Amino acid sequence: MANPVPSACCVVLAAVVVVYAQRHSQQDSHIQYERVGADVTMKCGSMDWDAAVTWTANGTDIDDSHLNGSYLILKNVDLTQSGQYSCYEGSSWHLKYQTYLRVGTPPKEPVLMCRSNNYPKGFYCSWHLPSPTYIPNSFNISVIHGTREMVCEKDIFPKNRCHIRYLQLFLTVKYKVTLTVTNALGKNSTSLTFDEFAIVKPDPPESVVAKPVPNNPRRLEVAWQNPSSWPDPESFPLKFFLRYRPLILDQWQHVELLDGTSHTITDAYAGKEYIIQVAAKDNDIGTWSDWSVAVHATPWTEEPKHLTTEAQVTETTSASTSYFVPPPTTKICDWWAVRPWQCVGQLDWSWLLMVSSLFSEYAPSWGHERWGWVLGGHGGLRGSDVVGKGDTKQAVGEEHWV
Amino acid sequence: MAAADTPSATTLRRRDLCSRGIRLARKMRSDVADLLDIYVERQGLDASISVAAVEGVPAAAAEHWSEQTGTQRLLDNLAAYRAFRTLLAQMLEEQREQLGDADAALGRALAAVLLQVSAFAYHLEELLELESRGPPGDEGDGPPAPPRLSLFEQKLRGLGVLRELAQWAVRSVRDLRQLARPGPGAGSAPGLAEGQ
Repeated sequence: MANPVPSACCVVLAAVVVVYAQRHSQQDSHIQYERVGADVTMKCGSMDWDAAVTWTANGTDIDDSHLNGSYLILKNVDLTQSGQYSCYEGSSWHLKYQTYLRVGTPPKEPVLMCRSNNYPKGFYCSWHLPSPTYIPNSFNISVIHGTREMVCEKDIFPKNRCHIRYLQLFLTVKYKVTLTVTNALGKNSTSLTFDEFAIVKPDPPESVVAKPVPNNPRRLEVAWQNPSSWPDPESFPLKFFLRYRPLILDQWQHVELLDGTSHTITDAYAGKEYIIQVAAKDNDIGTWSDWSVAVHATPWTEEPKHLTTEAQVTETTSASTSYFVPPPTTKICDWWAVRPWQCVGQLDWSWLLMVSSLFSEYAPSWGHERWGWVLGGHGGLRGSDVVGKGDTKQAVGEEHWV
Repeated sequence: MAAADTPSATTLRRRDLCSRGIRLARKMRSDVADLLDIYVERQGLDASISVAAVEGVPAAAAEHWSEQTGTQRLLDNLAAYRAFRTLLAQMLEEQREQLGDADAALGRALAAVLLQVSAFAYHLEELLELESRGPPGDEGDGPPAPPRLSLFEQKLRGLGVLRELAQWAVRSVRDLRQLARPGPGAGSAPGLAEGQ
């Protein structure tokens, strides 16, 4: 006698297959693209207009108010109405029609850019859409050079880029690059025409380093490297533009350097932190690179001198860099803010005499605003300034700069 | 040891000539760019107009540029600038015939560039002398006599000449820089850049 279990399984399996076939035998499943703001009418496959049907959107029943007979009417569609729409026969719930609605826009004019950062090897073009279309787009790029059509090889990454190798150099004939973007709702294109030299723009210099120069409070040494993408700097040397400013100022200073990959800044403000950047350009053609990553550096500053009976006190009466620091036998009291003789017990007498003589000459009144005269002009300290060596810092008082 | 590292007199002379040649070429390029602006304006042309390759005008375009030997570079440059010397003289003559003294600025600019082209050609001859090759003879060089062209065709031809000269000025800077690089010798040293 035959085993009944395998037979039962076969029957069940067959039934499942039949039901599945019935449900999918009359339904169409595809993708439908519609513009934002359009009115969309969906027919329930081959069902008659007056057939009883149920529509769902992403599995949720759609209200009958959107139906005209068995047709689904969507007015003024928006992006949120993208999704899977299904139509079922009234009582049997057989799936009669299914579509995936993608609401989007036709492409706007794409933005195209071509550049040679590896001259004389070749150039690349990259593109993007100024606004999303919300549906898939395809891009086609053509490059014409004179009468010759060239192949722009698509990069694996990023996807919206392709590159061309120069077959000849020093041509007067221009390149014309045309990019066409197409989607289910429309197409758009843009073109660029340029000559070989105009698009040359190196990448920024790399590995920019700035260091203080020992015993030189107004110098900073800056060094950098050619961008690694520039293939032959010996045959096609780059020149550089260096800009720098102290953090406390907005105005940059600039230096153009026709050779070498280093420079010493000699007019830095003592003790001020600087921000420095470098850009590169081929010596003869093209445009400047973007600025490099910014580096920060502070010029070397002298450590505070400790005054003793043998030490000389430095006076700050000129515009040159000079310091006025309290003697080490003094605690760092706020002597800017108080009369010096209030610290008498802690002060060296020779220092006190010097302070008194300066004070009587330049600051007959006790107003704090006068203290700036004592320190002098450029290079002198403000009360909020710091002294130290390299990156070490030590506060010397409150801000009382005039 | 020290003597082996010291560049020879020939090498030093070559570098000096190349440096001066690069400066000449850069100045020439700058002046040709100014001349192009004047020419386009005076001749009533559109600066963006495309001009087909002009017969008799040496093309600066080079395939496998980086693989050329130094001597080949010099010979190509010399042939080009000798041709430009003749072409610019023809343009100057045409300009005087057409405009006379009415457009002195264009005439002066053309003459100035012609002078620089002549000077550069002479400079290249010096470099070739240094390579112990000696410059080739000048007889028979240069473009053929210009065909009989309409006035507009003459203007387009002139535009093509100046544009090509501008390209040559850039190429010459590159060629001389290659020539000045230390190597086994200008006669046999190709450029190092690959992919051309």
